[in-house]
Amino acid sequence: MKTKTLLMASAISAIGSAACAEDYVIGVMSAQSGYLAPYDGPAYAGFQFCIDEINAKGGLNGTIPVRLIVKDTRSDIAVGVQVVQEMIDEGAEFIVSSADADPTIAAAQITAADMIPTMTFAGTAPVLTQVGPHVFGSYPADNQQAAVLAGYAREQGFESVWLVKSPDSAYTLGGPEYFGEAFSALGGKVVGESNYSLNQPDFSAIVTTIQGAATPPDLIVTWAWEPDFPAFIRALRGAGLDTQVMGGDVLDTPTIRGLGDVVTGVVHTSGGFPDEGSAYADFIDRFKAATGTEPDNNYYVNGCDIAHMIEQAIDAAGSTDPAAVSEAMAGIENGEGIMSNFTFAGTDRMPLRDVVVARISASGDKEFVLRQSADPAILPKP
Amino acid sequence: MELLLQQIVNALSLGGIYAMLALGLAIVFSIVRLINFAHGELMTFGGYGIFLSMTFGFPPFAALVIGIGAALFMALAMERVTFRAMRGADVVSLLIASFAVSEILKVLFQNGISARPVPISFPSSWSGSYQIAGMTIGVVPTASILVTFASLGTLTFVLRRTAMGMAMRAAAEDFEMLRMLGVKANRVVAVSFAISGILAGIAAVIWTAQRGSVDPLMGFFPVLKAFISTVLGGLGSLGGAVLGGFVVGALEVLTQAFLPDRLAPYRDAIVLSAVIAALLIRPDGLLPAKTGARS
Amino acid sequence: MQAVLDINALDVRYGPVRAVRRIDLVVPKAGITALLGANGAGKTSTVMAIAGVVPSAAGRISIFGQDMTRAAPDAIVRAGLAISPEGRRIFASLTVEENLILAGSAAGNAETAAERRAALMQRFPILGERRRQLAGLLSGGEQQMLAVARALMSEPQLLLMDEPSLGLAPQMVDRIFGIIEELKAEGISILLVEQNATLALEVADHAVVLANGSVAASGAPSDLMGDDILKSAYLAA
Repeated sequence: MKTKTLLMASAISAIGSAACAEDYVIGVMSAQSGYLAPYDGPAYAGFQFCIDEINAKGGLNGTIPVRLIVKDTRSDIAVGVQVVQEMIDEGAEFIVSSADADPTIAAAQITAADMIPTMTFAGTAPVLTQVGPHVFGSYPADNQQAAVLAGYAREQGFESVWLVKSPDSAYTLGGPEYFGEAFSALGGKVVGESNYSLNQPDFSAIVTTIQGAATPPDLIVTWAWEPDFPAFIRALRGAGLDTQVMGGDVLDTPTIRGLGDVVTGVVHTSGGFPDEGSAYADFIDRFKAATGTEPDNNYYVNGCDIAHMIEQAIDAAGSTDPAAVSEAMAGIENGEGIMSNFTFAGTDRMPLRDVVVARISASGDKEFVLRQSADPAILPKP
Repeated sequence: MELLLQQIVNALSLGGIYAMLALGLAIVFSIVRLINFAHGELMTFGGYGIFLSMTFGFPPFAALVIGIGAALFMALAMERVTFRAMRGADVVSLLIASFAVSEILKVLFQNGISARPVPISFPSSWSGSYQIAGMTIGVVPTASILVTFASLGTLTFVLRRTAMGMAMRAAAEDFEMLRMLGVKANRVVAVSFAISGILAGIAAVIWTAQRGSVDPLMGFFPVLKAFISTVLGGLGSLGGAVLGGFVVGALEVLTQAFLPDRLAPYRDAIVLSAVIAALLIRPDGLLPAKTGARS
Repeated sequence: MQAVLDINALDVRYGPVRAVRRIDLVVPKAGITALLGANGAGKTSTVMAIAGVVPSAAGRISIFGQDMTRAAPDAIVRAGLAISPEGRRIFASLTVEENLILAGSAAGNAETAAERRAALMQRFPILGERRRQLAGLLSGGEQQMLAVARALMSEPQLLLMDEPSLGLAPQMVDRIFGIIEELKAEGISILLVEQNATLALEVADHAVVLANGSVAASGAPSDLMGDDILKSAYLAA
């Protein structure tokens, strides 16, 4: 009886792996609830859209169809780890992980054993790739964003910055620190720092501290996201401080732009800008026509670019062997992307990509300011 | 000195929100022994009420009233649909039921509206500031403090001077006895939920005015602090809840303002340690609830 | 004999514990029925079941001829029953007057309620004097008077009095029993629960003895006064 069951089981798994042999199986961690849902949701939608486009043309490089396994993590790292293990057990050969450093680092520890390439949806803290040679970023890293933003700030004549950061996540802590480093390297001065907690109820105490500072800053930089950034900026403007505020790419959302007068003039980094006639603008049209949803932030197009990164890595590797794909990915130089081109070669596997600086206008629109690659001379080390 | 005064304004403004939420929790707890974990979702629903009515073009003031109405409606619906059927159940069953209600509502908000925060853009005049004796004070924190004290004042009047308020104070002491006097239980319970809903709605108004966005988790964090406030003040004690709210708010603001930066990550731990220390000295809370002698 | 309260095979359970087992009890109109028994005999459980705040597991309770087995407490009050419970259970953080106002809210009409309040404060002058004081500050005897006055606010035809003499000074006990007799003279039917059997039997017209949740004996006080069953019912506890 027992032998029979075992035989049955192995027969079924044989059929299963036979079916997998043709498809390239990609496991996707996607938080459908919790703090990561706002980023994982759009990134996954963009990724799925471009995988569908690729499959319609016969698969990766026209020959290898892709099958996705998608699992919800509820923004919980423990659940994420479990989900990644399940996806590997189900035959995943590539893992796309949640849009933040911490869950990606946790996932990468599971995938390390088999060197399964693991790429974050949008995690930007450069530390995330230090787990091993199989871990990749996809979005321009925080240090690149910070360096470009600091260069712009100095160019505009800002002298003294106050950093508002949270030790609760690599992103909210690292961004302002990289900015401070690059800003100082360019001759600016960090005059003060404040720490907050994620989802902190109230920012008025921080604002009052800035207000009472011995050397008032002419610039405030924070990598805070929603709902902390809206709370902070309202408290700041509410207290009568009109100091220039700059921030990271998380500010590139319709929610932030919808905050009204308080965000007018806020400058932030971004991964891309859909100039007229660009591939990005074309992606927006295609996506909207196919899904009826307006891809109103960069996570959509970046999700799509991940599909192209995988395609190019497999092409370069000439196989779907996980270690070979990892190695090929790390060697990509000036790969073609829709949001921007990407170079992994010579980096810590956080791709070198153009960084856009944008400003929120009085009417709540995003205005293009500049597009630049980070200057290696002032790029802060992770 | 000026800095301290300004931080006191901040502490009052934050403490006031905690106080209103804690009071809502305490009113319901004192009468039906329900620790309503879904209280935060009342606040969130109020926030979405403001967002939706502004999206549909209502003027800001009308939107605020609609927001309060939404929280009130949700509180009554919660009572009618879930908690009335569980009247008399033990504290743990009620607590778990309220967890379930809270989770269900969060998922509904997320799937029905958005997982992302949605923006609320109030007129710019609302985020202005004014100067008093060299201090710059924001309009919103000032309005929060005024609204909080007006609400607490009104509620005190209702509890002290009206027949229903009297019944609620009596119910907090000995609900069974009140029923044996012929007072209709359902009405008193519904009113207690209504009051907690209105307070959550007012908190939602102040919260969104200060923060400018609403998300499915909006109510969760402040209500967590409000729970701590009710325990600190004395579970089931109305005055204690208000006092606890102001104490927790003040501790948070003052630790944020005056702790050295490298201790900042321990801020919540420090606040909670202070609360635990207070409870070790006064196990029943700062202002313990009075309960009727029972055999 | 017309019954104002008629209990048939009543069972009260608290989880697996059966506190009251198949009790039959009749309270005749305009008399005092004493419900006697040791601690834990099931007296208070019976009273709470009659008042509608403890559900009866089985049996039937009829009040003034109406089936009130599953009725809500407010319906029972409106039918004409009031209670002065064990431990008095006055609202300590409310004033004396507020305690009375609350009890009158079931009366409906604010004017009649105010008249009754005034009448009761005349009847119990100490309550009138202390009307603005917190009820928790009253002495034990004064609290008992407040509990009785509060029950009378709804002008009941049937009054349940649970341990009215417990913990009171002898003088105050006399005063309370005086009031009980006055109320009887006014035509109010009374179910009197007492541990002090001697006192209760002095005023009662009829008595029922409970032991371990069941009726152990019942009859005229004179028959029960020296009865062994009564003694053993108390000793059994």
